[in-house]
Amino acid sequence: MTTLLQVIGLTKQFAEHKVVDAIHFNLEEKTSTALIGPNGAGKTTTLSMLTGLLRPTAGNVKMLGNDLRSNIGFLPQYPQFHPWLTALEFTEMAAKLNGVAAKKAKLEAQKTLEFVGLGDVQHKKIASFSGGMKQRLGISQAIVHKPKLLLLDEPVSALDPVGRREVLDLLKGLQQETTILYSTHILNDAEEMTDQLLFLQNGKLVEQGTLREVRQCFDEQNYVIEFGSEEEAKLFANSSNHVIGCNVYIEIVNEEPTMKMLFQRLSECPYTIRKVERQTASLEEIFMKVAKKA
Amino acid sequence: MRGFNVLLQKEFREAWRSWKFLWIPLVFALLGMSDPLTNYYMMDILNAVGNVPEGFEMLMPELMPLDLIQASIGQFQTIGLLVMMASFVGAISKERANGMATLLYARPISFGAYFLSKFVVMSTICFVSILAGFGASVYYTTILYGTLDVGALLVSFSTYYIWLLFVIAVTLMMSASFKTVIATTCAFTVIFVGQIIDMIIGIFWTISPWKLASYGIAKFRGTIEMSDYWWSLVITLALTIICIGIGIVMMKRNASMTKI
Repeated sequence: MTTLLQVIGLTKQFAEHKVVDAIHFNLEEKTSTALIGPNGAGKTTTLSMLTGLLRPTAGNVKMLGNDLRSNIGFLPQYPQFHPWLTALEFTEMAAKLNGVAAKKAKLEAQKTLEFVGLGDVQHKKIASFSGGMKQRLGISQAIVHKPKLLLLDEPVSALDPVGRREVLDLLKGLQQETTILYSTHILNDAEEMTDQLLFLQNGKLVEQGTLREVRQCFDEQNYVIEFGSEEEAKLFANSSNHVIGCNVYIEIVNEEPTMKMLFQRLSECPYTIRKVERQTASLEEIFMKVAKKA
Repeated sequence: MRGFNVLLQKEFREAWRSWKFLWIPLVFALLGMSDPLTNYYMMDILNAVGNVPEGFEMLMPELMPLDLIQASIGQFQTIGLLVMMASFVGAISKERANGMATLLYARPISFGAYFLSKFVVMSTICFVSILAGFGASVYYTTILYGTLDVGALLVSFSTYYIWLLFVIAVTLMMSASFKTVIATTCAFTVIFVGQIIDMIIGIFWTISPWKLASYGIAKFRGTIEMSDYWWSLVITLALTIICIGIGIVMMKRNASMTKI
């Protein structure tokens, strides 16, 4: 994979307070990266520096082989539009400002609006749009010029479940064509649409890696075996296992016991086994662990 | 100047759809027609209002057509400027505060292009407005008081327009530099307090942008030195250019103030 963006020691300090503290990360081409962190972690400030809206106190951002500002599409958390413009006029303007030729801009704008599901209302004034429609228009203005990098600040946090699902599906469709960096504090979204995770806390990048790598680092994996009765569970468990009701929790330490070992033991035991499950921590649980570690 | 045409189109659309091209000229037209009409019908108005003591006689000054134009300019200078500045002062600061600027500032636009697109549209609104104002004033003056010299009219119109360009530049510069409330205070202070100072102690100097509004007519009447007129004009234009320059720098510097 080719590295598209290099972020080197990016820092933003307001008075004495470091909002973003020397963060380093790379974005590979056509990958999706989630910038995760609680409110106030520095996610929006990081994105603002990447868009050029905020000047970093230190560090820099390099987009390999390209001018950064011409090659990004940006969607703020609460996009504000000029209400007297129509969706088509706004998207066309966005395309032209990003260097799309005037003749092509209208066609591209129409295609993009169709893609985000606003084709039918492209001639309506933005003032009459709902929150979900505005978010889709926000995506349309961000992608109309086919940017190499798409920066999205909490793209779905302000939407209802239906709008959230629609926008997430749209973004998944874009994953194949462009590199996406988006901030979120809704961890389910990150779990659903992420190649790389960046954990920000108090302005510091406390953990980064692919979902798999992060899981390997922080996931305490367990087997859970449900027996027919509490008594059977107690009889089966040894001193290192936990028993809760009919369930026995077997912790995997240094990759032991392996699946083979466990099944061998289970096949030899005379008890009723209702369910065997390998538990994986949710991203939310991992995030809590990362936060504690930091 | 990347994106100038696109931004200009956007600004024109905004001004058009928010009716600024209609209501501001309308205000100026009303101001322009008020002086010739009220002066001409003053006695009738007083009689109609009543409460005029019997035998009361008022000697009305004999007004020349140019006096009426001067009076109309006086109206533009107070209510007209107030309306114009109030409707323009949030042009940059409000866009920053409500986050509308975010989607533009994050693009590879030139801040010079954005500032100038606003300046051009506002200048056009001002042009249409004073055209309406002068038009209304000239129409009623001609009907009620007699014809006006076209040369005098053109000179006073152009001179007043240059003064308005300075007012717009100051207003936009303040809008680019500060939040709306502070920008409003600063812009009004510079323009109106400047006028008051010029009115009170302006006798001590003859060259000033704040004198320009009245210099158009005065030039034609021959009551001022030509060099004072030209110097005031040059200084006003120079200050306008300086304000535009500072405005562009401040707009870029304050881009990070935009709400995200």
